[in-house]
Amino acid sequence: MNEKISSRQLYFFLACVAPVGKLVFLPTELAKYAKNDLLLPLLVQFALQAAAVFCVLLAARREQSFYDLVADMGGAFTAKVLSVLLALFLAFATLLPILEQKTFVQSVFYDTLPSILSFAPYFLFAAYVLTHPLPALGRIWDVLAPIFLVGMAGILILSFGACDFGALLPVGAAGAKGFGRGVMLASSWFFDAAVLLSLLGKFRYRRGMAWKGTLAYVAGGAIVLLFFAVFYAVFAETAMNQLFAFAKTSKYFAGITVLGRIDYLFIFALAIVMAYASVLPAQAGVSLLSDAFSHPKYLSLILGISLAVLYFILSLLLDYRFGQAVNLINGPLFWLFPLFSVLLPAATALVGRKA
Amino acid sequence: MKCVTGDLEGSKAALKKLLPAGDILTFDFVSESGMRFSCVFADPLTDKDLLGEQVVSPLLHYDGPARAEDVMHKLTSPEQRSERALDKLAEEVLTGNPVLLFADMDTAVIVGTKRIPVRAIAEPSTDVAVKGPREGFIEDFKTNTSLVRRRLRTPELRIDLLEVGRRSRTAVAVCYLEGTTKREIVEKVKERIKKIDIDIVADSSYLTHFLSSRPYSLVKQVGTTEKPDIFCAKIAEGRVGILVDGSPIALTVPYLLVEDFQSSEDYFVPPHRATFTRLLRLFALLAAIYLPAYYVSAQLFRLQLFPVRLLLTISGAIRDIPFSPSLEMLLVLLVLETLNEASVRMPKYVGMALSVVGALVLGETAVSAGFVSTPAIIIVAFSGIGLYAVPNLIEQTSVLRLAMLLIAGSVGTYGVLLATAFVLLYLVTTENYGAPLFAPFAPVVGRDLKDSIVKYHLQSMKLRPETLKSPNRRRLG
Repeated sequence: MNEKISSRQLYFFLACVAPVGKLVFLPTELAKYAKNDLLLPLLVQFALQAAAVFCVLLAARREQSFYDLVADMGGAFTAKVLSVLLALFLAFATLLPILEQKTFVQSVFYDTLPSILSFAPYFLFAAYVLTHPLPALGRIWDVLAPIFLVGMAGILILSFGACDFGALLPVGAAGAKGFGRGVMLASSWFFDAAVLLSLLGKFRYRRGMAWKGTLAYVAGGAIVLLFFAVFYAVFAETAMNQLFAFAKTSKYFAGITVLGRIDYLFIFALAIVMAYASVLPAQAGVSLLSDAFSHPKYLSLILGISLAVLYFILSLLLDYRFGQAVNLINGPLFWLFPLFSVLLPAATALVGRKA
Repeated sequence: MKCVTGDLEGSKAALKKLLPAGDILTFDFVSESGMRFSCVFADPLTDKDLLGEQVVSPLLHYDGPARAEDVMHKLTSPEQRSERALDKLAEEVLTGNPVLLFADMDTAVIVGTKRIPVRAIAEPSTDVAVKGPREGFIEDFKTNTSLVRRRLRTPELRIDLLEVGRRSRTAVAVCYLEGTTKREIVEKVKERIKKIDIDIVADSSYLTHFLSSRPYSLVKQVGTTEKPDIFCAKIAEGRVGILVDGSPIALTVPYLLVEDFQSSEDYFVPPHRATFTRLLRLFALLAAIYLPAYYVSAQLFRLQLFPVRLLLTISGAIRDIPFSPSLEMLLVLLVLETLNEASVRMPKYVGMALSVVGALVLGETAVSAGFVSTPAIIIVAFSGIGLYAVPNLIEQTSVLRLAMLLIAGSVGTYGVLLATAFVLLYLVTTENYGAPLFAPFAPVVGRDLKDSIVKYHLQSMKLRPETLKSPNRRRLG
């Protein structure tokens, strides 16, 4: 399978796969700091990322990989260094979605706290995904897009009955401090443009792709914003205590007493999308290194399996330190995210234009 | 290479040396003019009446020169050709065609009077249609090719003959429409068939392993059908069809997973009905695979997955069951698989008794004895029925169902979801002869979705499936 990712598949990724990681912990965290203004920091982050996505897609016109693009301007050494740094960042950025998913799974899929190894199969799956080249994922995005839309639509429809959108008013009640803290905190969940950098040269460029891709990303963002609004409208001030947002918002649906937790079907759908989305940044990192060191199959196989093992070990080590890990990523290390997923894409667009 | 000589006795002895078996007979006769002939044939495979009528009778009055061409003009058999090489002659004898040797001639004549016992054309039991043609392929190769020719009366239909099997020398026909099927696919199929080095080909299913890009995979990669109408429809779409002598199951490539959710009847009923039945098949298949796993994982790890009243009913039913939910489900599933396996191979009259024993004695008694619960029996029964909604995928889905059950019993629902994600990635990355197995869903091929799970009107399907990359796209004017 050597085909390139099609433009449709790329749009599906931007609209339906990229948003899913933002639905688990972020709503609760934002509700904690930005309260009823949780949509504003989210809006800022989406606007920044949309701009970064636009930049990357502009650079995509040359149909070169990130490595080749940088190598053309700054030489092979610079390209190698930047590729390694970006790959390391992506591998680091994968940690939060994995830890997030682990706590989500252990809470939502089990009545009682399961064994520490209950999440181990995820790493087998991750290893399997990581050993696949990135273009292979294009096809899976074709499948994941409708799954995401069905899952999201189901959860939103079941939640609307319990919504009070008045809880989102008045706008600006959290003040500048809450807003600023919210923007800073949310940045750890926004690295889609950095992932997109690794996809450069792996998709077929089409005329108008920059606009269409950005619109697809904005559409995905709109779905996330709607979900956040519904989430806060359901829980209002208690939202900050509602972990695993998308598994909670629909639980007040009136039919549940008769039909059981049918919303779980939609939660399952989103969980499948999330399983792929969480491992994607790491796969993007593996792909960057493979491009930079020209041993695609051999290198990606070893790197993929090693990364899966590393994440497994880290998940065991951080089993009871999830909060600390999140605080570290969101606190002292938060600047990494705007650096690699806003500034670097913008710089790449400049490089792409000049070269 | 040893050849026939003018010495009749010597040639006969050489041929007999190559074919020492007791059922290879020789028949010597002399014409009125005194010319000596010898006929070597395989007793069980040769139509001796035809041999007497088309070969022996005309030659009894032969008084021409000792030349093969003149002798052949005298024969009334429409199938005849001359040959010198002894090994080729021996091959023909083994396929049932008698070999005629002459005194003073260094050429033999092969006469096509073989007779192979064949059963009548009947409706295949695995693919019964309420509406539409009821003919099915049989084991006889010639009958099968004639059934195809009858439906595709076009000179573009090519039937290229190949031979596979060192011992069986089984005839294999590669059928396709010239100008409609992508040339590369035809060449690839032929190349893979020619590379097969195997002792015997007992059935067409032997070839499927060699025609697949991932031969060790559980996933089916070659289409199968017993019905000539389906076979011809697939060829007309741009696929390559493969007929194997001795097998009533024809193969088609490239294969798409969606094919097995379609039935021939879908094309003879209104499209909304066809769409409904296809959705039903999909639902039944998914229920067959996931229902036992869902039931077990909900019981073991997440009771909220059941509605409250159902949960109360289930808890009442399972209260005194001595096994864990996964073991209980596994036992019932194994009983079902065993009953299924036994009933398929038993004579019909014993099968009836087996059904009674299986359904009443085992089912009823096991529940009343408290070994298994009623919900488990209901779920396995529904799963068993659901599996047969897509009969061509039973081998794969029954294994998948068992795997999902084991995963659900050990890891729970999340394990099942991960396994599903794993299977999805495997399916979307599998392709054979350049056609993605999961098309037209991944990659999405918009036009081909018109005949996928949803079925559009025939008039709106003007083009052949894009996935098959046919050089002749238009099929409807």
